[in-house]
Amino acid sequence: MTLVHRLALVEWSGLLAAIIIGSVGLAVLTPNFLTEFNLYVMLRSLCVGLLVGFAQMVTLGVGQMNIAVGALGGLVAIAFGGVLESLGLPLAFAVPAALAIGALGGLINGLLTVRTGINGFVVTLATASAFTGINLGITKSIPFYKMPPVLVAFGEQHFHAFPYLLIVPLIVAALLGLFLSRTVPGRQLLAVGGNSQAADLSGIPRGRIIVLAHILSGMLAAAAAVLAVAQLGSAQPTIGADWLLLSFAAPIIGGAALTGGHISVLGTMFAVALIALIENGMVLAKVDPYWVQFLLGALILAAVWLNRWRAVSAGAG
Amino acid sequence: MTDQGVHEPLLSGRRLLLAGASARIGLLAIVIMFWILFSSLAPGFLSAFNLFTLGRSLAIDVVIGFAQMVVLATGGMNLAVGSIGVCAVMTSGYLLQILGLPIPIGILGALVLGGALGWLNGFAIVRTGVNSFIITLASANLFSGAMLILTKAVPLNALPSEIGAFGKMKVASVVSPLLLIALGIGAALYVLFRYSVLGRQILAAGANSRAAAMSGVPVGRVVILGHTLSGILAASAGLMVVARLGAAMPAVGGEEWLLPSFLGPVLGGTLLSGGTVAVIGTMLGAALVTTIRSGLLVLQIGNFWLQLFLGLILLVAVLLDRYRGLYVERRRLGRQ
Repeated sequence: MTLVHRLALVEWSGLLAAIIIGSVGLAVLTPNFLTEFNLYVMLRSLCVGLLVGFAQMVTLGVGQMNIAVGALGGLVAIAFGGVLESLGLPLAFAVPAALAIGALGGLINGLLTVRTGINGFVVTLATASAFTGINLGITKSIPFYKMPPVLVAFGEQHFHAFPYLLIVPLIVAALLGLFLSRTVPGRQLLAVGGNSQAADLSGIPRGRIIVLAHILSGMLAAAAAVLAVAQLGSAQPTIGADWLLLSFAAPIIGGAALTGGHISVLGTMFAVALIALIENGMVLAKVDPYWVQFLLGALILAAVWLNRWRAVSAGAG
Repeated sequence: MTDQGVHEPLLSGRRLLLAGASARIGLLAIVIMFWILFSSLAPGFLSAFNLFTLGRSLAIDVVIGFAQMVVLATGGMNLAVGSIGVCAVMTSGYLLQILGLPIPIGILGALVLGGALGWLNGFAIVRTGVNSFIITLASANLFSGAMLILTKAVPLNALPSEIGAFGKMKVASVVSPLLLIALGIGAALYVLFRYSVLGRQILAAGANSRAAAMSGVPVGRVVILGHTLSGILAASAGLMVVARLGAAMPAVGGEEWLLPSFLGPVLGGTLLSGGTVAVIGTMLGAALVTTIRSGLLVLQIGNFWLQLFLGLILLVAVLLDRYRGLYVERRRLGRQ
């Protein structure tokens, strides 16, 4: 098997090709694309999206879905902002507290799903509404503006085109990759997603693994919320309101199966990068921003169709 | 049998009657409880004005719930209910204001578009065999995106005055004609699912698609029809919003309808796994949601906490439903 052949079989090869072709095309067509500032803006816009994609990816991996990713993110963002501004506590306390709230939200989602046996979609739809309600009830839609200068600086600083903010999702991605491929709970997570009955029969504590996936998803949503606060320089109650589509689009375009058991960290990353590239290209080309939503929908359909086609042709071969 | 036309061989008709009827009576009791609570706390709750606006929003919530219910019956879900709704809203606005066509044609055009978009969803789901969740998530954004591109998000508020007047019309001084239309749609759906071949086929396909296919049900066609019906119902809800606002706004529908669309049917006892519908239950579920929303508004607790209440109520309702099912099962086993 040649290298090209092997690459063609990897799920994210198409995405990588699309990113390269798109970048070259944009670089040729618009001189502004390759400027340091534009690359920085684009890379910076990736950071939150990557973590949002990962947050949904782990629940998809275990065969669940988490409609509450954005709602939990919004709640964590304002709790994080409130701890910093109203209580005046240091970042060293606020960041772990934010992650803990995310984990707690995930724990609630996971326990409700596993203990009651109710469809995870309905459970997380309900908790999403509850999380958003708490968020709006506490803040009355008023953001927290006074964020520590260190945090805001971290959200803005960069080395040439590389934003420091991007370090976080890159580390998280590496850890997630290791977790899913090299650790026992990670393998169990994918086993439960792949065939929950078989996993049960092999002695995997299925319920505990599903709860673990939800906790992980909550913590990733919380991390995304913290980065969003750093990026915006304020804790807005609207953070997370538009994460739903992206959270599903990224893992699915990246090759994740909705039925569970099959996810790709790299694929998800490339999908987020491709979406950011498309958005950037549209801004540079001064296209109506409404096209982004339309194209994202089309992209998901194309990805689903492509995955289907690949599965069918793999089965035939 | 009740209006929960379940096709599971394991469940006896009696048990279903017990489970279905008790669920609806329980739901009705909860709705009445909230009415007593709100009217004793705030006398304004029972004012003619509040009852009228409550009935009008109830009508819209009921039809949004129906749009989700018919797809849940097939064992799928439709995340594009809100997007189809807003597309119908803007289509009616375009036909009536820009083209100046008569009102019946505007209504018909919006309903046809809704049906066509629903058909597209169903067709894509059946043809690709991909989960309806992901297809409708993608199509919701395709539809909303296309609507925004075409309309540039500009509202159309110079519609014929009859439309706004219809939205403000009062039958017997408190009832909105929209509520009567919603009840009419409910009656039609009840007949469809209880007495017609198509309705029974939709339920059979939702309960067990393989068994249905083996018994000669054209499963693919039935699923597509379910989605088409959902699209028409979503468009109807959109038209009701146009009547209420007297204008075609591009900001209505969308993701805002997602939660209400599931609240009504799920509170009313429609299973997410397919094969059941509860027409009366969906109406009662929507009534509960609308009552709470209106009550909190009258009590001036504010819209901010509403989301929390709705989420908690959905959770409690599915939990109760779950344990009621287990309880009935246990009693049945005990008797044997």
